[in-house]
Amino acid sequence: MFSVETKYFGTLPYTEEAVFEFPHGIPGFEEEKGFVLIEAPGREAGNSAPLVFLQSMARAGLCFAAFPVLVVDRDYELAIAPEDLEQLGLDPGRRPDLGAEVTVLALVSLHDNALVTANLMAPIVLNLKTRRGLQAIRRDSRYSHQHPVRGQGSGRAEEAC
Amino acid sequence: MLVLRRRAGESVLIGDDIEVELLAVTQQGAKIGIRAPKDTIVLRKELKVTQQQNAHAANPSLSDLEQAIQKLRS
Repeated sequence: MFSVETKYFGTLPYTEEAVFEFPHGIPGFEEEKGFVLIEAPGREAGNSAPLVFLQSMARAGLCFAAFPVLVVDRDYELAIAPEDLEQLGLDPGRRPDLGAEVTVLALVSLHDNALVTANLMAPIVLNLKTRRGLQAIRRDSRYSHQHPVRGQGSGRAEEAC
Repeated sequence: MLVLRRRAGESVLIGDDIEVELLAVTQQGAKIGIRAPKDTIVLRKELKVTQQQNAHAANPSLSDLEQAIQKLRS
């Protein structure tokens, strides 16, 4: 078992399955080549939103919060550029299977008045097989960088996970 | 915004040392080539927006996050 210094949770043990390699970092954080996916504490107990954290391996002081895209928009449609699929080690000719092949996360931003937005325009895509990740900026303008996250009534958060 | 009509192979000059050439037009989009001095930063605009958005998203306050999520759940 390895452990990692985290921004919010002290030193946390992690398994290799939680580590994702980002060969090019993410825009603005190009030097961060490795992130640990941390499921929000308390989630098992069912008392937490399905929030996850992406903790930088190299920099304890850098952490992102994210929601699975389907939690933000249950009808979210993936559109990943062929070059990005190739970089992830996926077939560039077809849309990957969300859930089975890839986990897709929307980075969360906080604003004034407790407004929460999620970046559906440039989601983080994790290849579950190769454990490689990148931020896949959409070529269309169908979704926003700041998509407002609304209440999660009707149990759809649980459903989407 | 200045709007110009160009055909493949034709260029536009910006200032003394930047050239933008329309290389090809396909159904997928227009392919452009940019010739500029090495110290000129050329970025896809969405990349810049993503950088800014990521900088904003980094290290959210955990208490604010909890508060916001509480609000979402209520």
